Amino acid sequence: MLAESGILLSVRSGSPFLIGSPERSDVSLLVKVLMNMAMSVSNTGERRSQQNTRPACNTTSFQKKSRSKLVSIPGTRPSVQNGQLIVSTGVTSLDYVIGGGLAVGTLLLVEEDKYDSYSRMLLKYFLAEGVVCGHHVFLGSARDPPDEIMQDLPAPILDDIPSNAVNMGQVTACDSEDQGSMKIAWRYQNLPKVQTALASSSRFGHYYDASKTMARELREAVKCSTFFLPHELPAESHAEPSPISEAYRLLLRSIQELIRQEGFDGTAPQKSRNILRIGLHSLGSPLWADDICCEEKPTQASSLTSFLYGLRALLRSSLCTCMVTVPSHLIQNRAIMDRVTRLCDTAIALESFRGSERETNPLYKDYHGLLHVKQTPHLNCLVCEAPDTKDLAFKLKRKQFSIERLHLPPDLSDTVSRSSKADVAESARLLSSACGGLATSNKHLDF
Amino acid sequence: MLLDVIQGTENGGFVIIQDTVECCGRQLLQSCIAAALHREEDVHVLAFEVCEEDVRLRLDRKCEQRLCVHNGYTDPLGWSEHPLFTVHQFISEELNVHLSGSEESKPATLVIDSLSWILRHHPPAVVCQRLQELRRGGALRRVVALLHCDLHQQGIVGSLCHLATAVISVVPGDRGQQAVAKTTRRTKSGKVTHEEEYFSVKEDLTVTVESRPSHHGRPQTEEDEREVDPAANLTFNLRLSEGEKEAKEKLSLPFVFSAEKKSALLQPRPGSGRIVYDPDASDDFDPEDPDDDLAV
Repeated sequence: MLAESGILLSVRSGSPFLIGSPERSDVSLLVKVLMNMAMSVSNTGERRSQQNTRPACNTTSFQKKSRSKLVSIPGTRPSVQNGQLIVSTGVTSLDYVIGGGLAVGTLLLVEEDKYDSYSRMLLKYFLAEGVVCGHHVFLGSARDPPDEIMQDLPAPILDDIPSNAVNMGQVTACDSEDQGSMKIAWRYQNLPKVQTALASSSRFGHYYDASKTMARELREAVKCSTFFLPHELPAESHAEPSPISEAYRLLLRSIQELIRQEGFDGTAPQKSRNILRIGLHSLGSPLWADDICCEEKPTQASSLTSFLYGLRALLRSSLCTCMVTVPSHLIQNRAIMDRVTRLCDTAIALESFRGSERETNPLYKDYHGLLHVKQTPHLNCLVCEAPDTKDLAFKLKRKQFSIERLHLPPDLSDTVSRSSKADVAESARLLSSACGGLATSNKHLDF
Repeated sequence: MLLDVIQGTENGGFVIIQDTVECCGRQLLQSCIAAALHREEDVHVLAFEVCEEDVRLRLDRKCEQRLCVHNGYTDPLGWSEHPLFTVHQFISEELNVHLSGSEESKPATLVIDSLSWILRHHPPAVVCQRLQELRRGGALRRVVALLHCDLHQQGIVGSLCHLATAVISVVPGDRGQQAVAKTTRRTKSGKVTHEEEYFSVKEDLTVTVESRPSHHGRPQTEEDEREVDPAANLTFNLRLSEGEKEAKEKLSLPFVFSAEKKSALLQPRPGSGRIVYDPDASDDFDPEDPDDDLAV
């Protein structure tokens, strides 16, 4: 069956957590997991073919039953698509766009918008989700003190059903007033309108109120480690040449020590396993002592890329996820940005309309910016989950960060040539009665 | 918004005044100094590009004791035995000593003329870190710096403006004497506002702001005005009178069903179809069964 589905996987005794089987000796469980993954891949194929025929929303309510032998960590669940252990990014529409959620052991890159307003909000949502799920949180920053960022996390809405629940086209009892709403096309009045909001049918992740901050008790219930560069950087730096700069080396070392101390790399007992969420703000900016934002030929061009390489190695061998924001609009050399994107697993870019000429474009008036999905990962499978449309726009509402499909509204301007039914009937009547008069009055018409 | 930024109502701000060879921003810088002195604040000026007399030139004599000019003009690189202020002292901790040397505990405003000079002698990453450090330390309320953006690569200017809370770009206006100031301000909550204004600086260093400059790149509104309504002068009638509108409403459409039939068709019913018969106006519907006559 494995040969039929075409999965190539090398099974080693020290299998990483991504497969979902922590026991090294339990080979039969591993085989079951692999068979399940193969089934899920073929299921994905069936589901896709069904999607083409189904006109309504293309999400599935299929959820795999979790096996009792696997340890279940709060705030995570196995992915519907490929069985990976995934966590929510804090924004449910972003989870949908990147394929269900962020897989444990992977790195999410967010390219910042011009004034760093929305990428900062995404980072806060990520950390707030960690606090609500009870994960261990690590925050690294060079610009603002991490305590300030932690105090500014949005408050969770804990007992609310989202107001934009997926409308499956259920028919409510129509009374005569409703039937008068569409006079001619009344057969279509109960069909669902164009589904712009992206959401999956099963609820995973929480909603946050951006206008309120999280209560202190909630925040202090979770373990939080921070790294603030100006405090950690020694006054006298001994400059030994190395491919990675001092600041990044210190950050990597502090993450490594935290993983080792708290046992996220598998040394902790099974019952008390938890996820470490790492949030790194504005890597690559000059405040991290990096000059890729300032010059086209920077002296330490490979510093950030070496750091990301080391970080990803740490993530793959432990129960961690990481979100990194990079001010890509400042990076002068496109090659460096491409390398940074390749080194991360999932990459999205935010482009906000503020301060640009698009702000006044009527097409974009409902939204705050565009979201581009630059890369999605292949994790232990051959296909990657990409959203079905590439034109995505985001809007930061008070209770939700919503990401929607951007579609062109109908062109209702006066210059569009369009004849209404009444005008056609009128002109037809007039033409039939006074045909000759019209022809002579208009000098452009000559027969 | 230019006046708000010059007056400096919020704390912890970092204002960059960007200018070019075509239009100098030093007058705006002087007006910032004057405004801060009028607000009775301590002002420290790091003068690298102008001498001390030029800084004090048009300022009010009364407020002068609150102004402290660090002379980096005569010997900026420290070639003589006893330099007054060097460019290297900006990076080191000595500047903190100078700034906290004043007796009062009120935080001061730091004015840098100019940042381009410092960027020539130190790597930009170091300058950014130092500026951030100066902002975070409690001794300063605000930092205002002049930056000549045509002297540096775009990346350096971009990185510095990324750190700033307000950026004022001064460009020559097309109206002859007046210059245009493009102000972008970013608040802590992430709100960004942008404005373009004509401004002029008077002899006593007060700034007057004129109306906004008209945008040249908007031909669309003119076109709309020039476009004539095509339905205006026609020899035939395109509009409906009241009686005609009523007749149009009364017109019965061909597939209009009764309410019952509509609701029956709208609800999805499982199983086989259901026939709902709605007799038409011309239908001859006799509810009696014609087979009743048969005597079978």
